[in-house]
Amino acid sequence: MTQTSPFKHGAALLVGAAAVVLTAATLAHAQETLRFGMAMPLSGAQATYGQDQVKAAEWGLAAINEKGGVSGKKLEMILLDTRADPQSGIQAANRLASVEKVPVFVSAWSAVVKAIAPISNDNKVVQLSVGANSADIAKLGEYTYTTFPLADVDITAVANYAAKEMGKKRAAVIYINNETGTVAAQIYRDVFTKGGGQVAAYEAYDPKASDWTGPLLKIRAAQPDIIHIQGLVADTPQVIAQMRQLGLQQPISSYSAVYNPKLIEQLGKAAEGVIATSLAPGVTDSPEVAAYVERWKKEVGREPNGLPYTQYLYDAPYIVAAVYTSLGNKKLPLTGENFRNEMLAIRTFDLPLTGKLTINDDHTVAKPVYLMEVKAGKWVQKAVVD
Amino acid sequence: MLTFDTIAQVLWTSISTSSYLVLFAVAFALVLKVNRIFNFAQAALMTVAFYAANAVVSLAGLSGVLGFVAALGSAALASAALEIFGFRSLRRRNASQMFLFIFTLIVSELVAYLAMLIFGTWPTTIFPSLFWPVSLVGNIAISAWDLPAVGGMLGSLALLFACLRYSQPGRFMIAVADNPDLAELYGIEKNRIYLAAMIVAGLLIGVGMFLYGSRAQVQPTTSIELMLFAIAATIIGGIGNVWGAATTAIVLGIVQNGSVLLIPSEWQGFLLYIFLFLAIVFFPSGVKLPERKRGLARNVASVDLDTRQSTPANTVNPASATED
Repeated sequence: MTQTSPFKHGAALLVGAAAVVLTAATLAHAQETLRFGMAMPLSGAQATYGQDQVKAAEWGLAAINEKGGVSGKKLEMILLDTRADPQSGIQAANRLASVEKVPVFVSAWSAVVKAIAPISNDNKVVQLSVGANSADIAKLGEYTYTTFPLADVDITAVANYAAKEMGKKRAAVIYINNETGTVAAQIYRDVFTKGGGQVAAYEAYDPKASDWTGPLLKIRAAQPDIIHIQGLVADTPQVIAQMRQLGLQQPISSYSAVYNPKLIEQLGKAAEGVIATSLAPGVTDSPEVAAYVERWKKEVGREPNGLPYTQYLYDAPYIVAAVYTSLGNKKLPLTGENFRNEMLAIRTFDLPLTGKLTINDDHTVAKPVYLMEVKAGKWVQKAVVD
Repeated sequence: MLTFDTIAQVLWTSISTSSYLVLFAVAFALVLKVNRIFNFAQAALMTVAFYAANAVVSLAGLSGVLGFVAALGSAALASAALEIFGFRSLRRRNASQMFLFIFTLIVSELVAYLAMLIFGTWPTTIFPSLFWPVSLVGNIAISAWDLPAVGGMLGSLALLFACLRYSQPGRFMIAVADNPDLAELYGIEKNRIYLAAMIVAGLLIGVGMFLYGSRAQVQPTTSIELMLFAIAATIIGGIGNVWGAATTAIVLGIVQNGSVLLIPSEWQGFLLYIFLFLAIVFFPSGVKLPERKRGLARNVASVDLDTRQSTPANTVNPASATED
């Protein structure tokens, strides 16, 4: 008969006790924390925007937790880098779905959202696209939803407003010849024509162009009442400058990319009369947004890159928290399927920085479009189009 | 549509906006001619020049003149550093031309990423305002940027012409371009001439990028996109023909802009590739105009990249090469 050493018994007891304590602690932690994922570009060329958007989401999350979290439980965000690259996005989504096992995650950038969608569908994990605006995002399957209005929303609003409210009869459209420009230009042309107007000139320009004299002279010859530009942040101010230099003094409309204070700084008086869209309320529309921008200036020393996008990211954890709260109240497990069903049951969310959001059955969202105009060197609200 | 005013306006804006493209093409062609390198790292030098001017004028709030000096100085210094620490070291190790080309590609991407990290990806300009006041001459709009740009381009080209024709380093550049080994036999120190050519190219890039950045917004990757035009102008103008590249840059600018009056504007960018394709297939040595015995169209020593060891038949006396 072998005799067991009392020391060995003691050690085994200690290890066992430690294991029990650790397991209990882990379980307690798991019970106290409700998790969701976030896959955003934290490195690479788009990191400037991605990092600001993540910071906004972290602020939103912190505000929720400061107010007691979700029914007393802390909300936690699992953050992964996508580099705004589809391949890296797939890796991040796989980890969130298979390893972290979150029921929902936030993502952005159209190419990444599209690449991730099959993973969401296969794993029944909800992907909330926040900021990507390709019209295709509404058709990516049962588990991809957007909280951000897709490309057609603001262009439709601005074209309708020009034709019906401003009474413009002849429009000219100048657009960059890539996917940002072509689809939106077609939407503008179709909506403006349907609204009773005529598109007198419809000119594309090369994405590498640094001079736009040719298309602008064609537009000048067409004598439009209004000119719509669908370009990028980098080239639109130059197109407007050259337009004014060539004597085109008509009102100019564009979309959300143009709505930033830098346009006025770069164009001075040439910016007067430019109309842009914003998909979120601005500092003059909401005291919460004004406080939010002030916080950026105070804590970061500047305004965020792409202010409206960061507003949507700030609000994203509030949507997650609302759905989790509702699931908790109904004592339903936090699965992707339940999250999706509950989100659609709630449907309308009242959010701190972007206002009311309604998620439609066709995977689009209903949001008002804010039309902003440069007047006396400032962006002022011209109209709100529902 | 095709009125005199329209054609004159297109012609004028094409010439003025070609100013920086000409300088980029000439800088690229010069390095290709003398150093025999497809210097794609020129994009990196352009980025350095722009952000130096941007830092001085836009960030530090100093004058445009200092910004101009910063663009020139930084591009020349970066060019010299690239030659001394990059190309010279690779030549010493007998690196192939393909390897040199890959190295230049890596440098251009490296600097673009570095600029992104330091300055971010938001497009920016040298001066706060992009808008330049306009004067009407007849019905032709001429902006306050146009005349200094055209003047800057012509002045830079005149200085380059004088340098290549009348200065000793310039004449040595022609000699080295013609036959580097023979030039060395005649006592010309190749490495110094390669360095001189890079510095001259850097100065041209500095002027070009200051002009571009005072009219257009720049992102860290903008220079890489601008390089295609410089390469196209160099190939169509005849590899090794600096003035051919300059002329081609202007002609391409006019054709691209003017074409919009006749064809749909989305074809504008495609035209460059058509010209490039046709030039490579049908005119691999560039489109050559009939030679004149006197003046600018003299037969300039050309570079044959496939035959670095020149045969006695195409070697020339460096002294006579200086006449080109």
